[in-house]
Amino acid sequence: MPESRRVAITGLGAVSSIGIGVQAFSSAIWEGRVGASTVSAFDVSGFPYQRTSEVTDFDPDSLLEVLRPEDWGRSGLLAAAAARQAAQDAGLGADALSDSRTGSAMGTTSGESTIMQSLCEQWVADGLKGLDPSHVRQAPASQIANAVNTELALTGEALTIPTACSASNYALGYAFDMVRTGEADGMFAGGADAVNRHTHAGFHRLGALAEDVCRPFDANRSGILTGEGGVALYLEPLERARERGAHVYAEVLGYGVNCDAEHMVHPDPVSIARCVREAHASAGITPDQVDYICAHGTGTPTNDATEIEAVRDVFTESLPPISSIKSMIGHTMGAASGFGAVICCMAIQEGLLPPTANVSEVDPQLGPDLDCVPGRARPAKVDIVQNHGFAFGGNNVITILGRAL
Amino acid sequence: MTATVESPTGLTTVEPIPVRAVGVVSTAGIGLAPLAGLLVDGASAHTEPETDDLGDYPPVPVRPVGGFRLADHIGRKGTRHLDRLTGFGLVACGLALQAAEAAGAPQAAKDRTGIVIGTSTGSVQSLSELARDTLLQERPYLINPSRFPNTVMNSCAGRIAIRHGFRGMNATLAAGRLSSLTAFRHARIALSQGRADRLLVGGVEELTAPTAWAWYRSGGLAEGTPVGEGGAVFDLGRGGGDGAVPEGADPAVAELLGCEVSFAARRGLGAALTRDIRVALTRSSVTPDQIDLVVPGANGHVGTGRAEARALSAVVGDRPAVPFVQSLGETYSASGALQLAAVLALWRVRPSSRRRHALITNVGADGNTGALVVRESEGAPGDAAP
Repeated sequence: MPESRRVAITGLGAVSSIGIGVQAFSSAIWEGRVGASTVSAFDVSGFPYQRTSEVTDFDPDSLLEVLRPEDWGRSGLLAAAAARQAAQDAGLGADALSDSRTGSAMGTTSGESTIMQSLCEQWVADGLKGLDPSHVRQAPASQIANAVNTELALTGEALTIPTACSASNYALGYAFDMVRTGEADGMFAGGADAVNRHTHAGFHRLGALAEDVCRPFDANRSGILTGEGGVALYLEPLERARERGAHVYAEVLGYGVNCDAEHMVHPDPVSIARCVREAHASAGITPDQVDYICAHGTGTPTNDATEIEAVRDVFTESLPPISSIKSMIGHTMGAASGFGAVICCMAIQEGLLPPTANVSEVDPQLGPDLDCVPGRARPAKVDIVQNHGFAFGGNNVITILGRAL
Repeated sequence: MTATVESPTGLTTVEPIPVRAVGVVSTAGIGLAPLAGLLVDGASAHTEPETDDLGDYPPVPVRPVGGFRLADHIGRKGTRHLDRLTGFGLVACGLALQAAEAAGAPQAAKDRTGIVIGTSTGSVQSLSELARDTLLQERPYLINPSRFPNTVMNSCAGRIAIRHGFRGMNATLAAGRLSSLTAFRHARIALSQGRADRLLVGGVEELTAPTAWAWYRSGGLAEGTPVGEGGAVFDLGRGGGDGAVPEGADPAVAELLGCEVSFAARRGLGAALTRDIRVALTRSSVTPDQIDLVVPGANGHVGTGRAEARALSAVVGDRPAVPFVQSLGETYSASGALQLAAVLALWRVRPSSRRRHALITNVGADGNTGALVVRESEGAPGDAAP
């Protein structure tokens, strides 16, 4: 077994508020289409801000071959649907998956939050003796990766990674290490979260919700829209992908991971800059080689200022284009950096820079020459991309993807 | 017997990972000594529920950490808003760090020191308080904002990092009853890939009225199996920026060897665990007859306990197993970490002149299975933990 193998991404799956399937998702991104609606996942009537990015047309029955939707929470169903798409996209038959050492690593912020929401409703209505046993079994966050493994009959590990809003990137880095070391033959990496009342309430109380739309990098940005979705990428050794003639979207070049260790909710520019440098070192690249940065870009005043300060610290010569797809799909929490990774793959394939929607006036406080690709996608040379994920708990993970040469 | 293993990836022998110190909080109390007492002669378990503002308990036996007050261990500063689960993680980690320092374990740069914590739900106490507030307060958003970060599942790992200034990788892993074993496996791979030099690794679980009711209602526990809680954290790694420690300078108490985890449909759990155990042994270069101690984690559970017993019988033969679940209760995400603490506790009170090997296994009704092989260190110190 080789000491370290090159790792390819050969399958993509995306279940988002602006499109189901990677083609629908990426087409919507190129157009700068915004997915936003009034919350339907719970009674939102008592909330001042009621906009969200829900997957309103999610139909698990039509997307899943094995799982019975009534047995699983919404996060697990979103993850499994995305993983099923990724497996199909990678051209993998059922035997190829279950006979090999293939597992899944799925990130999340709030786990099976809609199930937890139901259990709390049952508790308030009927006391703790009223907890529905089937909901209890569906409640652990670990059911998200379990749903993926069950849907695809995977026999490798089923690991859910609840490192909050950078979790998909952590999962991607984890899967990269599993495949490059030969611990796994292939891995599905991604994440899922569902719109729910307590997350909406929490971000509202932190003053982080936008009233109508999310405007990253805009002078009048006011916060996030809570969002949801499921996303998956299939990783396998590059050599094997080429042997079997698979389409290679990108190669995982490396990643950086660290922790602010300062504050639970406020990001730290010094720590993020350190994470960027670590990612570059891991990938063996220099800042001038980065063609595009897929930002964490939540659209809160603090995040975007902190993020731009951090990248300016590293990219001293010139800052590459940096955009936020959260302007279109909302903050999909644990799935967010997974959607970032998928659009990075498509950016490399199509030679397009993903845009930032809803930008009227780029915030001058963010400094000169900030190219956030406002409005619609733009053609460009895209060979090496940098994908950001930051989170509560100070958990930063940055992945570097590149055209497989 | 000789294990024949087929794996498409081939099998490499794993590099042993030194365990330099342990911190444990269990129903037996704080540290390894009371834990050993509980496992050996059934002494000193707490069997009455702690006072719980969240509600009354169902009629199931419980094994709480008795009289636990976080401020007693780490002081009052900054602890007011922390939940029980994070408290167990902070105390276990603090104890491990103290023990490591007392034993002269090599340090690593704070940028290169990280955390890996297993939990599958985060704090049910924090989440349920907040989620109930969204239903019961005058306005649904009138939750306590300072408690909101506690409801996110990486809160424990994040708080540990903040308290000690550990700026390296920071991971939270959820795999049900396999969460902690997965944490050990992740730590081994991350250290081997140079993602960190030193990792504080373990698992945590808290017992509250809602979790007791959840176990009671879901019917996953055999009659008489208690619901437990606690946490354990281990100091893993070689320390130092270059990863090199002078010969004899590392006061390791044990080494983690092979650790394998798998997923199977319900009918395949026994076969999956059998394979995990065989591969873990092979990759440890340890034969079944070298195993001195078996600590099963699914013993006492409906269905999964039988699958685990079958797999153990098939690979290492029928032999006495440590009554782990009966003693500590169902500790779910923390179980693998507490099983490892149990191994170290028992080795400490029963010294041996030769290096011993232990096998830790677990099976979840959710499909997760796994096995970990542990080796006693040469001349393991008898007092490296409080």
